[in-house]
Amino acid sequence: MSKYRTSEVLVAAVLVAPFVAIYGWMFIYPTIQMVQLSFTNAPLIGAGVWVGLTNYTRMFADKIFGAAVWNTAYFVLLTVVPGTAVALGIALMVSRLKGWLQSVILSLFFLPFVLPVTVVYLIWDWLLNVQFGILQQVITPIVGRPINVWRTIPWFMPFAALITIWWTNGFSILLFLAGLRNIPKELYEAAALDGGTRWQVFSRITWPLIWPVTVLCLTIQLILQLKIFDQVYLFAVGGRTQATMVLVQYIYEQAFQKNSGGYASAIAVALFVIVVAFSILQFQLLRIRGNRQ
Amino acid sequence: MTSMATNISPMAGARRGLNVGHILLTALSIICALLWFFPLYWALVTSFRHDDETVKNFGLLPENPTLDGYLYVIQHSSLPIWYLNSTIVAVSVTIIAVFMAACAGYAISQLHFPGRRLLWWIILASFMVPAQALIVNHFIIIAGVKLLNTHAGTILPMLITPVTVIVYKQFFDSLPREFREAAVMDGANPFQLLFRVYLPMNWGVTTALAIITFIGAWNAFLWPFLAAQTERMMTVTVGITAVQDAFGVFYGRLMAGAVLAGLPVALAYIIFQKRVTQAITLSAGIKG
Amino acid sequence: MAHVELKDVSKRYGPVEVISHLSLSVEEGSFTALLGPSGCGKSTLLRMIAGLEEITDGRCFIAGTDVTDMPPAKRGAAMVFQNYALYPHLTVRQNIAFSLSLAHASKQVQDEKVGAVSRMLQLDQLLDRRPAQLSGGQRQRVAIGRALVRDPKVFLFDEPLSNLDAALRSQMRIELARLHQQVKTTMIYVTHDQVEAMTLADKIVVLDKGVISQQGTPLELYNRPANKFVASFIGSPAMNFFAATASGQAGNTVSVALPGGRTAEVTSRGGKLPANGTVDVGVRPEHLRLGAAGAAGSAFDGKINIVEQLGNSTLAYVDTPAGLLITEGEGNLQINPGDAVSITVDSSHAHLFGPDEQVI
Repeated sequence: MSKYRTSEVLVAAVLVAPFVAIYGWMFIYPTIQMVQLSFTNAPLIGAGVWVGLTNYTRMFADKIFGAAVWNTAYFVLLTVVPGTAVALGIALMVSRLKGWLQSVILSLFFLPFVLPVTVVYLIWDWLLNVQFGILQQVITPIVGRPINVWRTIPWFMPFAALITIWWTNGFSILLFLAGLRNIPKELYEAAALDGGTRWQVFSRITWPLIWPVTVLCLTIQLILQLKIFDQVYLFAVGGRTQATMVLVQYIYEQAFQKNSGGYASAIAVALFVIVVAFSILQFQLLRIRGNRQ
Repeated sequence: MTSMATNISPMAGARRGLNVGHILLTALSIICALLWFFPLYWALVTSFRHDDETVKNFGLLPENPTLDGYLYVIQHSSLPIWYLNSTIVAVSVTIIAVFMAACAGYAISQLHFPGRRLLWWIILASFMVPAQALIVNHFIIIAGVKLLNTHAGTILPMLITPVTVIVYKQFFDSLPREFREAAVMDGANPFQLLFRVYLPMNWGVTTALAIITFIGAWNAFLWPFLAAQTERMMTVTVGITAVQDAFGVFYGRLMAGAVLAGLPVALAYIIFQKRVTQAITLSAGIKG
Repeated sequence: MAHVELKDVSKRYGPVEVISHLSLSVEEGSFTALLGPSGCGKSTLLRMIAGLEEITDGRCFIAGTDVTDMPPAKRGAAMVFQNYALYPHLTVRQNIAFSLSLAHASKQVQDEKVGAVSRMLQLDQLLDRRPAQLSGGQRQRVAIGRALVRDPKVFLFDEPLSNLDAALRSQMRIELARLHQQVKTTMIYVTHDQVEAMTLADKIVVLDKGVISQQGTPLELYNRPANKFVASFIGSPAMNFFAATASGQAGNTVSVALPGGRTAEVTSRGGKLPANGTVDVGVRPEHLRLGAAGAAGSAFDGKINIVEQLGNSTLAYVDTPAGLLITEGEGNLQINPGDAVSITVDSSHAHLFGPDEQVI
């Protein structure tokens, strides 16, 4: 007797057909092609010749690739932990509030998250405009002069990170809020009866119980920010892009500006390996958490 | 529970120090929120200012508000076409991706067929693979079938939304099997079970996923930026910055463009706040 | 003729056999309860009749038709689930009409049938509500309505009352009994609650570890249990058991030597005594009578341990040479813990069980 019922298999086939078609065409095929292409010297459009590991040896000697890795790592460093900490702070503030005040305040914090990156870019480009930007009113007294942050290399990444935190933090805030809501009220009531101070309540109850969500936020942010492109690209357009180059941007540049599809694919494979490695790490962390519960 | 909480608060209020702290913290929260919101507010205000005013007035309100920025952007740029393109792309991606995910998630969750585990692994894998790494090959594939600068070409690679499938699968897994059995006794076939029982039972999940997919598709930058390079095929998200001379260096117009580009997603969020929250907690695997 | 018939059915999950070569006939119009502890296979059996579980071996017939390989909806069986499984997005009307609508019945037919069913179950006022707006009892009635509207040849109930509180449960029990009198359709009812089975069913099938332990009318099972399992499962408080030795036999009257040295006479059912005479005696609490210590003809002397006054009866837990025995006497019995008493066994209502736990 077969393990499967024919009618059920037919229904399943109909249901998964569109999914299989799209994922085969738009995920599996390009993934295989990416690896394949990374061993050739193909231009963006057209066939190439098999060159073995040439692209990879070139990559490890490539200064700009090194810079792109460094800049990406620097950006990750500037966004992930500070962003998560800020999100936790905001979530703690919001969770204390009640009713309509809470939903209004939360919306104010969350709204940037739903906006397109180009809108975020336009707004901050205007805020930081070296001549007329209102934030120069804050920068000038501190630094002594207006700063063109997008053309001043040491200022670039910190500001890109700041804006990214402002933009994407809503996601982590929501996760923290959900996590805080899952902490049983009774624990706080018991702590109140025991006369715990605000700090004791946070360090003994909230922090240990919110830690799993913190790990989740950190890993999600880590993987997300490794794939940074949009903001950095937009803010750097017209400037010295090589100094602020990040990995995805380098893929873009090699493929679409230098017309070398093969080398771009090799960089994509490198990004792919880094992200998958961190994803597996995340997966394992979540599994450990799942097992403990 | 609620009555417990209200019983506790007068007790806590008896300690006066706490009360002052409470008010201070609330005030601090409001101030932080307003500061956080300020960039959006400033963009909004700028969009209503006259050109000469944008560069010299740092007041919180425009001196004499004007719609000139908006009128210029609507009349003199391709923004209306970009809007149409964005709508077509985002709505198509939402409908196709959510429908596809519901069907696949249902099959993987509820039906027995060969290859089920393999499919699940492909979904988990695609969840890990960064879409940004595939741009080169997406471009080659779409160029190969002559779909660059078409809506279809923009839409196709954006249909890979594994989280949607994962959320659907987990949702179907969580339904008590009695619903399935009751429907089977009532004579439902697997299609009717999906479309007449499982999906309608909780439209909330579908709405949440649809809204978050819509927002994501509307906001997508990298792929639409590569796939649609003629001005007439661009989406709003790409168009407002890709076309340098679209609005000129007039900050009122730029901000008007930004406001218009962000408006649909901002409205979608404000109207469906609860669903957006639900979608985010669902996709992160946290019960909210 | 049997209306629902299982012939030599088995159910295996891999190497685990849940139902083993079971045959069962259910008469047309009967109310049959499948009774047993959890894990005995009663729900699996019901689901096999419904078609929700495949039958590994054997055949299933409903109204003379072999339905073994038929899909559930074609078998003419309707089922009421433990948690009701009402579709939360549909109104009561739509829930009841769902099967009709799947079968593309006309609006008029749907309205007629839903109307008839809802009047019968007093749901007419609730037709436009959703399940979340209904009480437990109302949901139960909707679940029954959804089964009724299909005009089934047989109703299957899977522990339908176990989600209700005690008061509602006894009320729903009466409603179910009334429903059965009214529609006279065959009903098969799974429960682990012997009170439900005793009050509702005209036939009880007791299942133990995937086989039928005994079947019969409620009183047959109560008065003449075929084995120790049925004897102990049915009746509350449970039957008392104690070991004894058969010392003589005259016809069906067996003399047994009791712990503590006295003897008693027990009416057997004609079975063969084991060679060494070791038997278990089972007596229900109401068939043990308290008396003054050392009373003539009593079986044991003992001391009262605990007294439970239930108003209409009095339960006494008595320490005896045979262990702790429960007796049930008339209400308001004036006894106290520590009292010395004797216990007399009603010999015509005592049961003998052999080492194989079958009745003798």
